[in-house]
Amino acid sequence: MTRPFLDIKGIRKTFGPVVAVEDVTLEVAKGEFLTFLGPSGSGKSTTLYAIAGFQPPTSGEVLLDGRSLLAVPSHKRNIGMVFQRYTLFPHLSVAENVAFPLRVRRRKDAEIDAKVARMLALVRLDGMGGRMPGQLSGGQQQRVALARALAYDPPVLLMDEPLSALDKKLREKIQLEIRRIHKETGVTILYVTHDQEEALRLSDRIAVFNRGRIEQTGTGRDLYENPATGFVAGFIGSSNFLPAEMERGEGDAAAVRLPDGTRLTGVRMHQRLGAGESCALMVRPERLRLETASTGGVPVRIDDVTYLGDSLHFLVQAPWRQQIGVRMPIASGIDAGLTSGTEARLVWPASAGHLFAGAS
Amino acid sequence: MAHGPSTMPAHGLPAAGRAPSLRRWDGLGYVLPAFLLLAFFFVLPVVALLLRSVLEPTPGLENFAKLLTTPTYAQVFLNTFTVAGVVTLASLLAGFPVAWLLAVLPGRWAAFLFGVILLSMWTNLLARTYAWMVLLQRTGVINRALMDVGLIDAPLPLIRNLAGVTIGMTYIMLPFVILPLHATLRAIDPAVLQAASLCGANRWQAFRRVLLPLSLPGVAAGSLMVFVMSLGYFVTPALLGGASTMMLAELIAQLVQSLLDWGMGGAAAFVLLVVTLALYALQVRFLGSGRMTAGGAG
Repeated sequence: MTRPFLDIKGIRKTFGPVVAVEDVTLEVAKGEFLTFLGPSGSGKSTTLYAIAGFQPPTSGEVLLDGRSLLAVPSHKRNIGMVFQRYTLFPHLSVAENVAFPLRVRRRKDAEIDAKVARMLALVRLDGMGGRMPGQLSGGQQQRVALARALAYDPPVLLMDEPLSALDKKLREKIQLEIRRIHKETGVTILYVTHDQEEALRLSDRIAVFNRGRIEQTGTGRDLYENPATGFVAGFIGSSNFLPAEMERGEGDAAAVRLPDGTRLTGVRMHQRLGAGESCALMVRPERLRLETASTGGVPVRIDDVTYLGDSLHFLVQAPWRQQIGVRMPIASGIDAGLTSGTEARLVWPASAGHLFAGAS
Repeated sequence: MAHGPSTMPAHGLPAAGRAPSLRRWDGLGYVLPAFLLLAFFFVLPVVALLLRSVLEPTPGLENFAKLLTTPTYAQVFLNTFTVAGVVTLASLLAGFPVAWLLAVLPGRWAAFLFGVILLSMWTNLLARTYAWMVLLQRTGVINRALMDVGLIDAPLPLIRNLAGVTIGMTYIMLPFVILPLHATLRAIDPAVLQAASLCGANRWQAFRRVLLPLSLPGVAAGSLMVFVMSLGYFVTPALLGGASTMMLAELIAQLVQSLLDWGMGGAAAFVLLVVTLALYALQVRFLGSGRMTAGGAG
């Protein structure tokens, strides 16, 4: 196998007795857009800061193109970074902010001017070079920060929740810009976010962080369709976890029993589980269907129906008093009898169920 | 600001923009005592002294002419501005690292350091100046220690000269640059410095190109404050300085107390007042614009 471009090996970081990052190992290819996705405190930002050089890891190694980064002070790492907070230099104009990394590198004035113009064009802020950061909107400030971070052609660009301070509309717009800039520059990007939609929209691959570890790394489709753990299944997309009891397993297919006695076979098993063990059966809301004519499946009562334009969202009550979310596309033809307060049957294809350890 | 029992300003009316300034004068009656106090005890004596400067011994501006043309007096002015300038510079150089330390230390340690600084401020000025006399004199602690160690053979002249005045006054003025500088430095987001570092700036470049420009409002506030206070300082220069380093405040005291020349004393006081007010006006303007720049950071 060829040497990975960025090789993160067994990063561990403790703050006193608190373990922020347990053991993070990751290989990133050149030009890849990889996102660290996880709840706050899961260690994703700490890992990023270790790569940036602000919080040296307690142990572990970071190799860039085969050379260790950890021995290099942050100002010599030649890494670009866009921060969560606005970090433009408030006393410098937009153009001077973008020029800053080139000025400290003592580049020639003509070269700096040309580069600044190219960078401002890249982030679509041509003609704004004379403005002061205080005169810009939050989205514009982050775009200038992006231009500043890319001005010195860093091999790796780190982005620490750069859009979290912006409203949803603007966020989506700048996400598209970031994708375009990634394509145009081919820079390797490590992106931190807690927003799964953002991660899915931007990334080539996603590393899901939980409690200082990576639970799973893969494409968005991988994570959504084949979640390795219950945590990944719950964090990406919406999901229902039904309590179940393991009956028997063969390979990665299992037979389980739901609390009301319903038996299901051919369920996909993602972790080794023994017979009799209590576990959680995850089914996505859009894989569930409600039927009135059927006699199979689980009998439920409809608590609530919400119209969402392209689909209807149902909240149904299972016999074991659990509320389950069901999402049915309107185009699929929904039985008009499915109204709030009525009884129905909840059915799903066996392959839509994923079995994880731990009862819920 | 006093709020009189006035009517509430009407909302959304075209005149609403003028309402606040009208309301500001509503409570004027309440500030009359304070106004009288200021007029009687501050404005009146100053005016009286200034009148004497142009009326004694004969009406005219001859006191000012003498003050500005006599070489001895010119020397005093030069001393005053030199000492104020050197003290300001020394306070800035010594105060900046302390202010930075205060800004980056964890809360409890910063509070402790603050306590030390404030404690020194609250200690009697005369006691602190005498303490410096003990430390700096020919047979003082500093000279003896340096001689014992063998660094010097003869005592250094640390007192009754510019060095003594500078040391003593810098020590007293330090809190006045540390406090405004600390306020400015603390408002700077550390992430901005991290960004500078990742952009490739080493420590010196980050200081020179980011931290220093961003702290300029605090530098300006602190140094103007120290400079203005130093111009009129009396006790410390009188005790730690010599005849050759006489400053304006000492001159005024001598003119009035020893020579009973109220006209000349008044003229010298007037010049000091004008210089101080001019610098104060500068400070107000400078801080006004400084605040706007700092606001742009948010």
